[in-house]
Amino acid sequence: MILSLMFFTFSFVFYLVTALLYLGNWFLKKKWLGQIATAMAYVALFSTSMILITRAGESGHAPFSNLYESMVLFVWATNAGYLLLEYRHKFKSIGAFVMTVEFVAMIAASLLPYKYKSIEPLNPALQNKWHWMVDLLKPYGVEKYAIGWLDFHVFTTFIGYAAFAISFGLSVMYIIKNRLDTKGGNNVLAGMFPDSKVLDELSYRAIAWGFPFLATGIVSGAVWANYAWGSYWSWDPKETWSLITWFIYAAYLHARVTRGWRGKKAAYLSIFGFLAVIFLYWGVSFILPGLHAYA
Amino acid sequence: MGDNTREVTVSTEEMAWYRVVGSKVWYFFNSLKLTLSVLITLASVSIIGTVIEQNLPIERYVETYGVKWTKVILYTGINDMYHSKWFLSLLAALTLNIIVCTLERFPPKWKSLLNHKPQKFDPRVIEKCSHHYSATLQGSLEEAREKVLNVLKRKRFRVAAFPGEGGHGLYAWKGRIGRFGSDFTHISLLLILLGAIVGSFAGFKDFKVANVGESFAVPYEDFSVRLEKFWIDYYDTGQIRQYNSLLTVVEDGKDVLTKQIWVNEPLYYKGVRFYQSNYGVAWNKVEEAHVAVIRKGGTDTLNPVKVKWGETKRLPGRRYSVKLVGYTADFAFDEATSTVFSKTAEANNPAVNVEVYEGGKLVSKPWLFIKYPGIFPAIPSSDDDLVFTGYKGVMYSGLSVNKDPGTNIVWAGTLVMAVGFFLAFFVFYRRVWVHIKDAGRSAEVRLGGIINKNNLALEKELEDIIEEIRGEGERQETRG
Repeated sequence: MILSLMFFTFSFVFYLVTALLYLGNWFLKKKWLGQIATAMAYVALFSTSMILITRAGESGHAPFSNLYESMVLFVWATNAGYLLLEYRHKFKSIGAFVMTVEFVAMIAASLLPYKYKSIEPLNPALQNKWHWMVDLLKPYGVEKYAIGWLDFHVFTTFIGYAAFAISFGLSVMYIIKNRLDTKGGNNVLAGMFPDSKVLDELSYRAIAWGFPFLATGIVSGAVWANYAWGSYWSWDPKETWSLITWFIYAAYLHARVTRGWRGKKAAYLSIFGFLAVIFLYWGVSFILPGLHAYA
Repeated sequence: MGDNTREVTVSTEEMAWYRVVGSKVWYFFNSLKLTLSVLITLASVSIIGTVIEQNLPIERYVETYGVKWTKVILYTGINDMYHSKWFLSLLAALTLNIIVCTLERFPPKWKSLLNHKPQKFDPRVIEKCSHHYSATLQGSLEEAREKVLNVLKRKRFRVAAFPGEGGHGLYAWKGRIGRFGSDFTHISLLLILLGAIVGSFAGFKDFKVANVGESFAVPYEDFSVRLEKFWIDYYDTGQIRQYNSLLTVVEDGKDVLTKQIWVNEPLYYKGVRFYQSNYGVAWNKVEEAHVAVIRKGGTDTLNPVKVKWGETKRLPGRRYSVKLVGYTADFAFDEATSTVFSKTAEANNPAVNVEVYEGGKLVSKPWLFIKYPGIFPAIPSSDDDLVFTGYKGVMYSGLSVNKDPGTNIVWAGTLVMAVGFFLAFFVFYRRVWVHIKDAGRSAEVRLGGIINKNNLALEKELEDIIEEIRGEGERQETRG
């Protein structure tokens, strides 16, 4: 029963160590620190995956049904997204920011009150499995592993959140770098950052990933709602806030692609967008009543 | 927006007034500033509706916000904000904006993508590109050209060649379709909106309640649905697992389809869906009632008989039989119309209606009350009285009945959206110019490129290309 808790404890430590290593790499500029940091990030990713897998085993359904589980999913997706970014572009200083956010998210998850953490069976509204998948798995007797709209909806939404979190980190870096650059002189710490143009572009690319995933999350939620209850959209606070967030990022993309908003303006809009994501994720769950109160 | 100059340059005096107005309206909706301001406005005002609870009774607004603010809320329609005229107008403005922008931008884009190849090759374009590189290859001009072509083809570029004296030009391109990503996405939004509109006009939404064993007519359709059974599944912990109804579709008097539905699993028949919505104990029917005979005013030990709905049963040791014909959960009597009705759906004052027969002859038809035994004599001419002691209820199931012919359009919209996102964010239109100049025993290669978005990807690809061209040169050198 407590296997997932064990992996959570491991992951907690791993993210602390990974964040410290990336920070050490950034401050001390030691190459070997950076290499160990990356290795640790992979270890943390593995451990986080194990939390999700063991949790699924313990609850008998995909681990996407309460706030605690969704936090772990968020940490997992952000880590995976970051490692993909590092693999493709080889910038390690970004890790100092992303892994710190990861560690903070782990603290937040561990501090959640029990009712947001406990393993609960799925309530009637959340029980959805795709027929085609059940039919596909039935001959092998493993149809209980079939997934459905809930899993697809939550998973795509959180990939979106993770991409926005990474974009947020990059935008903060951009603003720091930009400020130090304009002041003149060469700051040692900002010197480790990628070029501000690169930060700007990467921040945009992260949003270019997040936007379609958030849209897929919203649309799949609507399709599911229509399938399960007969209406696509009911202006529930979570729905509305997801749309608000989507509008903000849509504005970002249009401003950038067609009106040439780059650099500072774009960075501030990306930060603003992520604040909306935080409210969408946490604010709505705790402050505003509605269907999504559980996660 | 630049395409609009032609409308502006036409003298407005020569145009009919409606064309002037038309072009102004068109110009208004063909603006990206409008897009941005509408998006930001929509995002901002939508917050209001999540903070102020929607569709509450007016008293609740008065309680929370006071009379003065309630007036403001009602006047501005904030109590049902997302359906208010001004909010819908914002959505309409965004829609018109999308339509006009697509109509205005798509045709020239299409043309420019069809005629993207330059008429003749001008090497100066390479220096104008944000990214440009050069390399020197040993060997002849022709050999160098082959090498470059190989690398470009390996990178899945399509190439047009411009041979010339003392130098060759190559123009390469890929990912043209990526430029249509935004158009696909915009069209998908229109389709989804269209689907929603079709659904709300051509479809219907209704709510039906059926007691177990009863059927109801489906609105606007010529079939009915019977509720066979309603039940609840529980987890071992006692938490509710699922609500289920077993439904049968009846058409032309025949049962055509039986299906178990639950939350997340509707019944679908001829375009109509039936969703499990709620349930309860019926207020107008029971499965069986327990009726006993006592002496008038007496308190004998009771030995009630169980009478099923609609059934006639002999009372033991008496000449009377009773037939169960009615039930109401919260008894009330309307004097104006002399009718009995249930005040609420709760069993606050359960009462049954029975017909009493003596030797096949109807002698009385009293209402019996569980809470008030003997309040009205059940059989006026007799010393015996009847009491209602208990009952077994019937479950009802509440079903949302819904027809939405727009669903398929919405589905098509989501597919188009997926394609659009893929093209817009992951397929990039890249154009590369290469100039190869004869430099005696070697050839000088210069290349530059542009991309519609994602400069980092282009930079990486161009670096790859130039590395491979150099590498290809070296490989051939060592071989030679």
